[in-house]
Amino acid sequence: MSVSDYIPVIGLEIHSELLTNSKVFCTCSAEFGGEKNTRCCPVCSGMPGTLPIINQRAVEYAIKAGYALGCEINKFSVWDRKNYFYPDLPKAYQISELNLPICLAGAVPIEYEENGEKKSKTIRINHIHLEEDAGKLIHDDLNGVSLCDYNRCGVPLVEIVTEPDMRSPEEARTLVETIALLLQYAGVSDCKMEEGSIRADVNVSLMRKDATEFGTRAEIKNVNSLKSIYRTIEYEIKRQAQILDRGGEVIQETRRFDANKGETKAMRSKEDAHDYKYFPDPDIKQVNLRDEDLERIKASLPEMPKQRLAKYMGFGIPEKEAKVIVNTKKISDLFEECLTHYNNPKSLVNFINGEIMRRINLGEIDIDKPSFTAADVAKLVEMSDTDKVTKNDAKEIFREMAEKGGDPEAIAKANGMLIVSDTGRVLEVIEQVIANNEKAVNQYKSGDVKVFGFLMGQCSKELRGAATPKVIKEELEKKLRSL
Amino acid sequence: MELDMVKYLAKLAKLEFTDEELEQAVKDMTSIIEIMDTIKDIDITYDPYKDNHNVYLEDLRPDEAMPSLATDKLLQNAVNQENCFVVPKVVE
Amino acid sequence: MVELTVKSLREKLDKKEVSARELTQAYLDRIESVDKKVESYITVTPEAALSAADKAQEKINAGEASSLCGIPLAIKDNICTEGVKTTCASRMLENFVPPYNATVMDKLENEGIVMLGKTSMDEFAMGGSTQTSAFAKTKNPYDLTRVPGGSSGGSAAAVGADLCAAALGSDTGGSIRQPAAFCGVTGIKPTYGRVSRYGLVAFASSLDQIGPVARSAEDCGIILNAISGYDFHDGTSSRLPVDDYTSKIGMSMKGVKIAVVSEFFAEGVDENVRKSVLAAVDTYKAMGAEIIEASMPSLKYAIAAYYLIASAEASSNLSRYDGIKFGHRADVGGSYNDLIVASRSEGFGDEVKRRILLGNYALSSGYYDAYYGKAMGLKQKIREEYADIFTKCDLIITPTAPSVAYGINENISDPKKMYQADFCTVTVNIASLPALSTTCGYDENGMPIGMSIVGKMWDETTIIGAADAFEKQFDRIGASL
Repeated sequence: MSVSDYIPVIGLEIHSELLTNSKVFCTCSAEFGGEKNTRCCPVCSGMPGTLPIINQRAVEYAIKAGYALGCEINKFSVWDRKNYFYPDLPKAYQISELNLPICLAGAVPIEYEENGEKKSKTIRINHIHLEEDAGKLIHDDLNGVSLCDYNRCGVPLVEIVTEPDMRSPEEARTLVETIALLLQYAGVSDCKMEEGSIRADVNVSLMRKDATEFGTRAEIKNVNSLKSIYRTIEYEIKRQAQILDRGGEVIQETRRFDANKGETKAMRSKEDAHDYKYFPDPDIKQVNLRDEDLERIKASLPEMPKQRLAKYMGFGIPEKEAKVIVNTKKISDLFEECLTHYNNPKSLVNFINGEIMRRINLGEIDIDKPSFTAADVAKLVEMSDTDKVTKNDAKEIFREMAEKGGDPEAIAKANGMLIVSDTGRVLEVIEQVIANNEKAVNQYKSGDVKVFGFLMGQCSKELRGAATPKVIKEELEKKLRSL
Repeated sequence: MELDMVKYLAKLAKLEFTDEELEQAVKDMTSIIEIMDTIKDIDITYDPYKDNHNVYLEDLRPDEAMPSLATDKLLQNAVNQENCFVVPKVVE
Repeated sequence: MVELTVKSLREKLDKKEVSARELTQAYLDRIESVDKKVESYITVTPEAALSAADKAQEKINAGEASSLCGIPLAIKDNICTEGVKTTCASRMLENFVPPYNATVMDKLENEGIVMLGKTSMDEFAMGGSTQTSAFAKTKNPYDLTRVPGGSSGGSAAAVGADLCAAALGSDTGGSIRQPAAFCGVTGIKPTYGRVSRYGLVAFASSLDQIGPVARSAEDCGIILNAISGYDFHDGTSSRLPVDDYTSKIGMSMKGVKIAVVSEFFAEGVDENVRKSVLAAVDTYKAMGAEIIEASMPSLKYAIAAYYLIASAEASSNLSRYDGIKFGHRADVGGSYNDLIVASRSEGFGDEVKRRILLGNYALSSGYYDAYYGKAMGLKQKIREEYADIFTKCDLIITPTAPSVAYGINENISDPKKMYQADFCTVTVNIASLPALSTTCGYDENGMPIGMSIVGKMWDETTIIGAADAFEKQFDRIGASL
């Protein structure tokens, strides 16, 4: 048997930190970073006598996340304590939601390409629950100790639990990418993999093509990049197929992905027979959501990717181009803002998808912290469209804007790229060129139109910055015809 | 209550007992469970919806970050190093 | 002077008959000489007390003194006091110095109280004798061979032995009322959510409540006025406005409906206790109260429900004690697991370990529905039964404990017997209700007998008014030490 004799069955638990100012159960800052243990208080460090106080926005964001993923919202959700001992969890229980989570079933459509073929599918969401993040352990091999930094303890997190609906690494990767985009658009998470603000637990099992039941699954914890999710699943499929081929049985266990080796390994720390002894947290009065609250939150949801795509296509932008814009929230936001300054979508899209995307891909622009403003980009594109600068010069000007920002008009002026339409000067130069090139003019008049280019070149050289090639061409043709 | 059960509960609770203590714990727990078992036969279930304290979204804490505790105060009751709590090296 | 009520001390301070420093020194002197016998305090803070007294005196001199300004109080050692050790009477927290104050401490400090020190208790408030304290096994001021009750035994004994003007305790299943009864003083457990729990080291979060122990119902009202109210740091604290809890002092009992619930007087209650409490009911009747009879069929399940819920919550609340962030850290090598197992096993006493085991059992998969789930269902049932009784009455009177204070070591070896003794008090916590215990008689050995007055949710005012009416016609006999 080979890998192709099995159908992989994949489910994900996607954890995404919410973009609140303060933590979910205390008033410490939830911002990423900070010196070790400087964003902690008696509450999030689990000191005796302290109590959780729920952050209103964390609840609202979880609901927004639910709406973004097509979920039904639970009007009465219950926070439970999940009890286990681990040094990154100072209370020795995590406040989470087991039986009555805040969001119920939902669905996320995905589109992807496999073997050059366009495919689409809908992945069902089982539920989303709100919980608190744990701290960070720094391992000190030299002294044989681990150091606990609780800055991340209590940062609000949504856990999105999917049904086991995915059948390939590509589907799983696409789902995470799609969900990240939806959460970004909803404005509830920045989904930065490198800061751990989105990560996934991956459940993989294999079933034979003729089987009717799922096989035993392995859970790979805390996979933290799109690439790793893909590789983890690829590796697990191979590993489990080999076991099954040998007539062995896959063990239900928790594993860890080693990105350096590209392998998964059983986790030692999770060997403990665990029983989380969930029970409703007696420190928290459960929150009731009313229809009007839900309507308000739903209405506050910004335009989502689907709506933006439709809008852009309505502008006459081809689907492929529109998708490039929509698929990066920051780019789409830039485009939207540009539109408020210069209402020429097609032209803006050409510039953004061409020049800006090129420089982003080259790593010259950090789209999270661009040095240019949308207003300046819009102005530059408008200048180019209205022949105040040439297309080529526009790119040059943008290079400088990308580097250090600045007003495109000022940059153009400083570099002698600004075109001032001076018709008198154009006619003057044409007269002179015609007078100086009698031979060429005669050739043209006798029907040798090839020399037009030469004459045009002579004019352009003299007229740089004073007129656009189009104006020069028109005027030169007019003059030659009149001779 | 069986010895194995007490051992299992001790493991869950991160407690250890000497053999002698275990024997006493089995005795005590057996006696305590006798009281607890009085509720075993009654037909009653918990209804979370009844425990509704009429708390609504607007009653919750507004999302404002406030200053945290000074790190030295946070660590004042702990073995610490480099502004962190210290545990024996954890193997994942 | 040390035997006076808070109310009379207030007058003396305001009239400058005594200074706050003199009053504080008088208590400190008495602690010095008497507390060796009673062992009610774990920590005494003389310097801080005297300096707080001087500060209070400035306020008094400026005519800015509020009702508790300059009053020397004792605080149960499970209430966090910034910079002052808070041990919960456990080896586990022997050296724990909280970096923050409990909300009640902030409130009391704003009032200008003088904290004399921290009182002993059963370890982590688990027990009814104060004999599980790792540091001070408090004695009953009426008879040093008997227990003071518990878990707030240190607070009740300190009030009973005139070692403070009043004290704060905490009550999870009777821990204020039962020691108040045993030590011949008055104590009230407020409605759940009336007083902030922030900074009260949690035993059972859904049942714990801080309350005063004092020489009179009126004093309880004065202190309750100072510590009640919504707290931003406690999501379970109530936003309902705070009443003036002394506003019904001097009320008439005429037409007040009092229920006697038969199950509380049944088998298991000593004859002298039953007689004394029923005599108090007759006193109320003579004052014009209307007495009705009622029944609480689920009372027989209350002990099981209480111990399952309390232990389940405790097992989770006490998991944070692992020797890493605070508390006892065992001196062992090995892994993280070895360290926390050793720290917990060395740090916790036997009773705490028993409750943790029971709590784990109640919550573990396979047993949850049969134990914890049922107990939570019963909690709802008991609440309904109380609500039903309160449609017909204003107050309920029960014994506070089935017996007077027993001899040290009498019950402690049999956990089953010990647990069952709590049946008079636990339902009030389960139903979140307010209840006060006051002395209603003495047995043939002069040991105090307590009765409990249970009120409707948030109606502490009527309880205090009714208790005061009884206290005014009752001759309390102080302990002689």
